[in-house]
Amino acid sequence: MFAHIVGFEIRQGMRRISTWLYFGIFFGLGFLLINVAGGAFRDFAPTTGGNEFANSPVALAAWTALLSVFGLMVTAAVVGNAAHRDFATGIHPLFFTTPVRKRDYLGGRFTGAVLVNLIIFLGVPLGIMLGSMMPYLERTRFGPFRLAAYAQPFLVFTIPNLLLTGAIFFALAALTRQMLSNYVGGVVLLVGYLLSSQLLRDIENKRVAALVDPFGVRAVSLDTRYWSVAEKNSRLVPFFEGLVAGNRLLWLAAAALVFGLVYSRFRFAHHAPALRRRARAAIEPLVRAVPAPLAIPMVARDFGARAWWMQWTSTVRREFWGIVRNVYFAALVLAGLAFVVFSATQLGKIYGTTTYPVTYQVLELLSGTFALFLLIIITFYAGELVWRERELRANQIHDALPIPTWVPFLAKLTALALVVLVVLALLLMCGVVTQAAKGYFRFELAQYVRELFGIQFVDYLLLGVLALTVHTLVNHKYVGHLIVVLFFVFTGFMSQLGLEHNLYKYGSDGGVVYSDMNGYGHFLRSWSWWKLYWGAFAVLLAVATNLFWVRGQETGAGRRLRLAQARFGRTPQTIAAVAAISFLGLGGWVFYNTNVQNEYRTSKQQEAAIAGYEKKYKRYEHAPQPRITAADLHVDIFPERRDVLARGTYRLQNKTRVPVDSVHVQLPRDTEIRRLAFSRGHRQVLEDQELGYRIFALDEPLQPGDSLVLLFDLAYLSRGFENETGGTQVVNNGTFFNNAFLPSVGYNARQELQEDDARKKYGLKPRPRMAPVNDLRARQNSYISNDADWIDFRATVSTSPDQIAIAPGYLQREWTQGGRRYFAYAMDAPILNFYSFLSARYAVKRDRWNDVAIEVYYHPGHEYNLERMIGATKKSLDYYTANFGPYQHRQVRILEFPRYAAFAQSFPNTIPYSESIGFIARVKGPDAIDYPFYVTAHEVAHQWWAHQVIGGNVQGSTMLSETMSQYAALMVMEKEFGRANMKRFLKYELDEYLTGRAFEQKKELPLMLVENQQYIHYNKGSLAMYALRDLIGEERLNQALARYVQAVKFQQPPYTNSVEFLSYVRAATPDSLRYALTDLFETITLWDNRTQAASVTPLAGGRYAVELNLQARKMRADSLGNETPVQMNDLVDIGVFAPARRGEKEGRLLYLRKHRVRSGNQRIRVEVGERPARAGIDPLHKLIDRITDDNVVSVRDARVTPAAAGPV
Amino acid sequence: MQLVIEHLSKTYPNGTHALKDVTLTIPQGMFGLLGPNGAGKSTLMRTLATLQEPDTGSVRLGDIDVLRDKDAVRRTLGYLPQEFGVYPKVSAEELLDHFAVLKGIIDRKQRRELVQALLQQTNLYDARRKHLGGFSGGMRQRFGIAVALLGNPKLIIVDEPTAGLDPAERVRFLNLLSELGENSVVILSTHIVEDVSELCSRMAIINQGEILLEAEPLAAIEQVRGRVWKRLIDREALPVFEQEHRVISTRLFAGRTVIHVASDAQPGPEFEPVDASLEDVYFTVMRGRLPTEEAVATA
Repeated sequence: MFAHIVGFEIRQGMRRISTWLYFGIFFGLGFLLINVAGGAFRDFAPTTGGNEFANSPVALAAWTALLSVFGLMVTAAVVGNAAHRDFATGIHPLFFTTPVRKRDYLGGRFTGAVLVNLIIFLGVPLGIMLGSMMPYLERTRFGPFRLAAYAQPFLVFTIPNLLLTGAIFFALAALTRQMLSNYVGGVVLLVGYLLSSQLLRDIENKRVAALVDPFGVRAVSLDTRYWSVAEKNSRLVPFFEGLVAGNRLLWLAAAALVFGLVYSRFRFAHHAPALRRRARAAIEPLVRAVPAPLAIPMVARDFGARAWWMQWTSTVRREFWGIVRNVYFAALVLAGLAFVVFSATQLGKIYGTTTYPVTYQVLELLSGTFALFLLIIITFYAGELVWRERELRANQIHDALPIPTWVPFLAKLTALALVVLVVLALLLMCGVVTQAAKGYFRFELAQYVRELFGIQFVDYLLLGVLALTVHTLVNHKYVGHLIVVLFFVFTGFMSQLGLEHNLYKYGSDGGVVYSDMNGYGHFLRSWSWWKLYWGAFAVLLAVATNLFWVRGQETGAGRRLRLAQARFGRTPQTIAAVAAISFLGLGGWVFYNTNVQNEYRTSKQQEAAIAGYEKKYKRYEHAPQPRITAADLHVDIFPERRDVLARGTYRLQNKTRVPVDSVHVQLPRDTEIRRLAFSRGHRQVLEDQELGYRIFALDEPLQPGDSLVLLFDLAYLSRGFENETGGTQVVNNGTFFNNAFLPSVGYNARQELQEDDARKKYGLKPRPRMAPVNDLRARQNSYISNDADWIDFRATVSTSPDQIAIAPGYLQREWTQGGRRYFAYAMDAPILNFYSFLSARYAVKRDRWNDVAIEVYYHPGHEYNLERMIGATKKSLDYYTANFGPYQHRQVRILEFPRYAAFAQSFPNTIPYSESIGFIARVKGPDAIDYPFYVTAHEVAHQWWAHQVIGGNVQGSTMLSETMSQYAALMVMEKEFGRANMKRFLKYELDEYLTGRAFEQKKELPLMLVENQQYIHYNKGSLAMYALRDLIGEERLNQALARYVQAVKFQQPPYTNSVEFLSYVRAATPDSLRYALTDLFETITLWDNRTQAASVTPLAGGRYAVELNLQARKMRADSLGNETPVQMNDLVDIGVFAPARRGEKEGRLLYLRKHRVRSGNQRIRVEVGERPARAGIDPLHKLIDRITDDNVVSVRDARVTPAAAGPV
Repeated sequence: MQLVIEHLSKTYPNGTHALKDVTLTIPQGMFGLLGPNGAGKSTLMRTLATLQEPDTGSVRLGDIDVLRDKDAVRRTLGYLPQEFGVYPKVSAEELLDHFAVLKGIIDRKQRRELVQALLQQTNLYDARRKHLGGFSGGMRQRFGIAVALLGNPKLIIVDEPTAGLDPAERVRFLNLLSELGENSVVILSTHIVEDVSELCSRMAIINQGEILLEAEPLAAIEQVRGRVWKRLIDREALPVFEQEHRVISTRLFAGRTVIHVASDAQPGPEFEPVDASLEDVYFTVMRGRLPTEEAVATA
């Protein structure tokens, strides 16, 4: 009987068109994914990808897992339907009265449906397999074909996920006898998945995060997060250990539990068992005596506008309340809101530290995390609305009513819009409550309203129209859902297919970013045009939906087409015509703005232009050029118009040994040149507008040592709007740009294409990312600038009267003239050719450190962390002047800029600092990492490490500025917060380094050869310097650093390099410890240390002996991550902890001392004065060890369990 | 005003020939459309109710081209489909009011009166505040009638309306219909012969998409009068009789079988004349033209 039911179910499934449609969609998705990864769209899209194979086992596992999340929708339809079908058709009494056993009925239905669903999901691996064989793909991106790499994820993700989701959907449909409940089930599963991503914002939660994701996606990404490229390409994901195994077991058990539940609760009964109070039994009033003869009053009827209005409102009311009063709507929204509230606790975490819940943050969080729920709500209820009458079987009555077809359509659209509004209103309440709960009472209701009911509502409305259209046209509910979702997925994919212009991304716009400083700035204007454009298109969709609205029993395509033709009368024609003309007209206007007034280039075109630049002008790379020695600038900033006028002069000196006969000048493409001339006879011999390259021949060659002046008068005028957010440098409040917009001299090799794959496409040879560390020619330039060494700088900056404008240097004079405010700045010492201009309505907080003025320019309202920043500045100046050498300036200025970028950057005595990364940080509790303090200390350190010591344009130079600034900041932080606090910080650094190397696109390098790789020079740099300091001592290390600074600061070319730096460090390092320099700086070294057991024996005198059983390993990795073991004989920390007291995460350190640790197994015995709780190797994680959880273990009593001390 | 149907044909995508060149003229009053399940009744009804498109043919209601000018038809149409559902969580009064608005009755007072009157007429007044989800089949059917009667329709189409009704309800319902027939075109499709014989001034018999008979019931009965005979036989003997006579219907009676036989003259001494009813007309027509094949898939 069981087999019969299974077979029946499968035959049914195979006969449905939708089954094969789903299969086709999954097959197509697999095919498309591998094609994108395999470079099928390289002719349309910019080149991406590195050394990881498109079909690496990790990638296949990730896709399989991800698509099985996506498969949720299909499972809801296929498996849910297997349980629901009998109730929907009303045939269940027939089945239930046969002698079939519950086991066979439920089990058979479920098994059959799951098998059908598996066939659908088989489309994924098959699609990928077939896709990866396409001949036009780049074979170099593919590793060998391995069946296991397909089979394993299918077994570990697809099948268990299907069993879980299938069981849940089956149970819901069987027990509630309604399909609606399935969507709630789906949403709850999604919440688990999303929750895990929220949890991961804090790496402390990774274990929980991996477990709560019901699909296992997070677990696999966590298990493989530190895999190098070599490992990703060769290793199969280890499914039977680690987080994946735990996750799978947990959720398979959950699936079994759910199925057990449905088995025990399911009844072969006509009515559903009472999960909750059922509607009372039918009321049947007695048939009374036949009343008086038929007397139906005559009524007046109206079929005009007034009637339409009433019919519309009446239907809206019906539909809206029908949705909102339903318990599933409440469940759906509550699930979403619960998730949102949870996410709020993770608000804006950086290094595990949260931010103040300012309105834009809360809004971003709410709408960001809730967006998915709204998409689900829209997709799902669009389907419900379109199908409502038919599912109630009330369609025949409705369809024969004397109302125009557009009335129900419009009413349903309105109801959908109202539902969205209700949800948005709930979000608003949630936001305010979140803020209040976090003790933040600066409610900006107007901001909520604008964002939610202005901007977002329009987007959702557009989506609502689209969803209704799709559901109407497709006329199959579940396929309709899937197609709407595919649309969302496709929109995300478009740029990878080379479709980047918003003109063909339905509902899109150029982007709107709200910033506390700049509000919506200039974005709203362009946004409105985009929305009008898409609004016109939505009207066209609405007309089409009306024409094809299913009314009556005819559902064949041909009939519907003929009906649509018949419906296409004068009114729809007029509306369609007006909408089409508006759409085209608005499109033209948008195009005029984005592509005519502004230049529009796809990423691909951009790439081609860069390649063209190299091809055309590379030959001038080593042409002798004069260098900038002074800049005298006059910059007028017009914040309201977003224009900048810049005039000024460069003094150019011929520092070469040969006469220079021509000067090459580069300018950004969109510069309007009003004047570009030299102080002596010259003529222009080349003008390349497209690439911004110009060559001027000098009448008289410039002799070695001689100078000339470049005079320029330039305008940067903003016109119309662009396709992307763009143009966030010059804004209404919070302008921030640097000297990249000013002329530069000579060919700039830094602009060349980096990706070897991309270079190949344009016939360019592979290029090293950076010149070798000892390349003397490259060291003629610092890595900051290729046309200057140290320059004299002065600038006058003007802006609107209510703003303050800033440039590096000291304020000489401030005045107002012609309704504008002027600021004259001059620098008293030479600086790098690297400076910035800012203008905003600032408030200023001032302080002093000795004779150094400290100023923080901030947005009023963002006062939260000013004291921290000033404190950090003072402490930094204390430490750096004491340890590295004197500070070259007399002021430190920190300037807030809008959150269009999230970084802080150090210019000479000037530190622009994004509003999003410190100004609103909320450092709470003793454990919290004070990142405003850290960022400030780091940026102040750059005044030494970058603005005094600057490396040549070679490998390893960013170590001299970034790594050293990290080190400097670490030292200041350690002084301020104590050593124990550094552990948490370093844990993040370790995680970031290991994650970073896993995503290396080209090759990982040792720290001293770093090629501007952030995960190396920041994260590994921190770890390496901290470990080095630990080994040789702070004082000794800092003395070496001070000597080095003294030797190389403000030097002329050739610039210093990491080799020279290390020579100073080496000199300070005892021979016995020099191995560490090799491990930390010269090679990529990883350790694998673990404590296998630790036992304690009480000694006389209240002391305790702790014996540790250790295993240690040291490996060297090559640039792709292939590892070779090396002999280890290193000094490593051994630590013993006391029991944790209340409120402590871990106990006090009773013992921390370095011991020599060899490769392999060994025992180490230490003595402590108190009873220990935990002990282990490298407890503070100073070494680069991928598994840190096994470093420290609980100490067991040696006498009670003697075996514990034995070898394991 | 009368409804004129000419040469209406419809074939479904699965090949079912649901209507074959149907031509009918339906005057004001009750018109019964009689036929077995799957005969094409519902297809014809839905076509008249603007919900389906025929392949060929034309339908006119007075001056209205039913197939083209659907809006005009809908304004004057009251339609009760064979099977329909309602919003379960809405009260009868509320939903009827909603339908009244949709039928263009926008004057609040008039609408209220009408809704109350219809609830009274359909005997749902006491249950008007109850949710429709709790209604029995008969109550739901009566509610459907109330909806169909909203707005004084001139064309009323009721498809198998008495199927779920108990005898008392059925009587009430038919009374209601017959009153309506006084100044509207009322088309009643049914497979219950009594419905037609009790109510309709005209009727048609349809099977397998074809109109087998279009007549006034009384005249039709007149035609078979004296030509139908009955006899009580043993069940086992039935095949013999079927070979020898034109058996139009069989029925069990007290454990034996009563057969009706069509014949111009008395077929044998054992046979008694039958006081012909519409049922005999129906079975004669069904047997006369076609053998007793049952059911065509779609209806």
